[in-house]
Amino acid sequence: MTTPTLAVKVLRAPRARRRSSTTYLISLGVLAVMTLAAVFAPLIAPYDPDQVDFSAFYAGPSPEHWLGTDGLGRDILSRMIFGARTALLGPLLVVVSSTILGVLLGLLAGWRGGWIDAVLGRIFDVIFAFPALLIAILAVALFGKGLVAPVIAMSIAYAPFVARLTRTLVAAERNRPYVAAYRVQGFGGAWIALRRVLPNVTPIVGAQSTLNFGYVLAELAGLSFLGLGVQAPTADWGAMINEAQAGLIGGYFLPALVPAVAVVIVVVAVNVVGEELSDRIGGGTPA
Amino acid sequence: MTLLDISGLTLDLPNGNRLLDGISLDVSAGETVGLVGESGSGKSVTARSVLGLLPDRATTGGSVRLDGREVLGAPMGELLDLRRHRASMIFQDPRAGINPMRTIGDHMTETLRLCEGKSTAEARARAIELLHAVRLPRPEDHLRQYPHEFSGGMLQRVMIAGALTSSPRLLICDEPTTALDVTTQAEIITVLAEQRASRDMGMLFITHDLNLAASLCDRVVVMSGGRVEEHGDARRVFREPRAEYTKRLVAATPTIAVGEASVGRAVSAGERIETSAPDTRLPSAQSRYGAGAPTRPAAGPMLATLGLSKTYHRRGKEPVRAVADASIEIARGGALGVVGESGSGKSTLARMIVGLEQADAGDIRIAGRERTAAPRTRDERLAHARSVQMVFQDPYLSLDPRITAGRAIEDALRLHTRLASAEARTRVLELLDLVGLAEQHANARPRTLSGGQRQRVAIARALAIAPDVLVMDEATSALDVSVQAQVLDVVAEIRRERGLTVLFISHDLAVVRRVCEETVVMKDGEIVERGRTVRLLDAPEHPYTRLLIDSVPRPDWDLDAVMAEASIDALSATQG
Repeated sequence: MTTPTLAVKVLRAPRARRRSSTTYLISLGVLAVMTLAAVFAPLIAPYDPDQVDFSAFYAGPSPEHWLGTDGLGRDILSRMIFGARTALLGPLLVVVSSTILGVLLGLLAGWRGGWIDAVLGRIFDVIFAFPALLIAILAVALFGKGLVAPVIAMSIAYAPFVARLTRTLVAAERNRPYVAAYRVQGFGGAWIALRRVLPNVTPIVGAQSTLNFGYVLAELAGLSFLGLGVQAPTADWGAMINEAQAGLIGGYFLPALVPAVAVVIVVVAVNVVGEELSDRIGGGTPA
Repeated sequence: MTLLDISGLTLDLPNGNRLLDGISLDVSAGETVGLVGESGSGKSVTARSVLGLLPDRATTGGSVRLDGREVLGAPMGELLDLRRHRASMIFQDPRAGINPMRTIGDHMTETLRLCEGKSTAEARARAIELLHAVRLPRPEDHLRQYPHEFSGGMLQRVMIAGALTSSPRLLICDEPTTALDVTTQAEIITVLAEQRASRDMGMLFITHDLNLAASLCDRVVVMSGGRVEEHGDARRVFREPRAEYTKRLVAATPTIAVGEASVGRAVSAGERIETSAPDTRLPSAQSRYGAGAPTRPAAGPMLATLGLSKTYHRRGKEPVRAVADASIEIARGGALGVVGESGSGKSTLARMIVGLEQADAGDIRIAGRERTAAPRTRDERLAHARSVQMVFQDPYLSLDPRITAGRAIEDALRLHTRLASAEARTRVLELLDLVGLAEQHANARPRTLSGGQRQRVAIARALAIAPDVLVMDEATSALDVSVQAQVLDVVAEIRRERGLTVLFISHDLAVVRRVCEETVVMKDGEIVERGRTVRLLDAPEHPYTRLLIDSVPRPDWDLDAVMAEASIDALSATQG
């Protein structure tokens, strides 16, 4: 008896190349531009963000100052470019640390189940009950103004979002036959959870975290607007809106409008990218 | 009178794939035509086209005439009329085809009220009458029940009754019994045959099971790759296939009939294994795992369980006795089949042996070593894994979707051996070669492999560990017959070459007979009969074994006798 040789052709992956939507590409472009601006701020910005031009207070757009100047005669474009650093860095730190924290806790809860799952679940419920912004303000009240305390506080506040998702995905994955197959082969539980199950759920969790980025950005800008986050004179979009309040009464909208629009654009762009990513990944999840 | 006339039907997808290529067949009133083929042959697409259920943006050619009216290109209103009054369809999985939130009564009376304009009382009376016709025990009560209260077989009867509400001229059955146990399958087939006869309906019966088609149908159409391969009298096609493809299909189809050539071949292969002193041919544990590996005692059975029991305690429900007092024994290099229907406890038995479940009571010994307790240390875990490996039912789920075939095997090798990377890779290729795969498959992810290829990878992965015993839990049930035959050949060859001991779990007697010298039959967690497979099939002693054997469809199938036996078995079950 011989082994019949199959027509052993490896099938092509049946993944039709999907055309990316225009909005997705534009959003991706916006984020790329913002990131580049933040990274190369000193090279790109036409002026020092704190440099005062005494000849121009509340100046409108002109060849010298493309987006005009604020009440202290500082170039708005330069402040926007430098402001992108805190605007993007804060959310990035929050997203990275909340993802790490959330994934570890979610993996623990989903993989072990039982009382660990129950206890962690109740803790998440409690954190969910407080809005992230409230926790951040609380942290500022306890530890003082600046970016550090709110970033840590919001990392904790956002961790349950990631943890819940991870827990559900891991709990479903744990019952799949491939996990049983690993067990039968003699692999230990920790190895299977960390080396095999975790990578299988990471794409979906990553997409969720991308969405969190937008929310965190808006909330951190709000915190700076309230004067609790980034402190003057450091350029920051939220702080810029705060400083521009006085000008609004005098009819000078630009200093407030520019950073506000920037926040909206970035948040929308991040959401579009996040949605698209989770759609794509959701479509091709582990069978 | 011709009810359904399909001629020259072609169907193309927008991406240029031709799913159907010149299909022609016809069904007359009171006649059953079987549509037989493997997955991807286009049999379901053909059947669905009769009801105008075509894939999106598909282009069709040829004609499909139902009761004299053209279906292809018909306006929606006309299609609805055809679906309401002319033809009905029954699908493979009854649970997927019924709304779980609504009662059986809703399901049954909805079409009667909405399409035929009957009053609630009339619809109810008709529904009861139909449920009666499909032999459901208490139609009045069933109307108030929900789908989850029904077993798969009962639910399929509801679906049949539902399909009959419109008094169709043509009933299309798309693999209606594939998800069911053999004894349940026999019951459903009886109901279908009765209804066809009493209503003089035409029936288009789709199945992958050639035995079933030959036993139920008047004529069969064999399809492959979107073409009709052969067309003719059902028994003639089964006994003297003319087309090359049909010949191969018939040869690959396992049968329980005694004296068949393929059976003789399998059994003799098995006997050769027994007489070839397999101990010496076992892959040497010493050389592979280094001098520190334990030496295996030479005498005694390879696998022995004694009084193994497992009971599941469910919250708020009666405890379920999954396995009760199961004692089995397999000699070195032997193969034992465990046969039973769903819920018989055969999978639980397998899971206990491989250590995925812990037994409540009893004893498992593999190669003379105690393997009952859950391993506590890493060394114990690895030792347990080296004593027994398992191939799972569904190769689509038992391979990690992210890991390539080669990597999966390499992982297992590295866990159990100290091979260097290069050696491990060579060994992976050897193992792939052993199961009939090539180097190119090593880099393929499971998604890009076919079902048969995946199952070969799963076997290679299990063999990488060089286990004493290989447990195969319904390992070929999800595969097409020709692929199943290939995989079974691979297993037979490995057994011959390496003297592997196999515990083969299956619901399919014919497959077990092809693989195993000895067989035990399980029912409700108990082993009801055991013995040599040939003897078991030839002269079954327990009534349940006899029922199982007689429920397997074959060309000279006597359904009435099966039903009579089923009632005797049910009677003895209530008495016992």
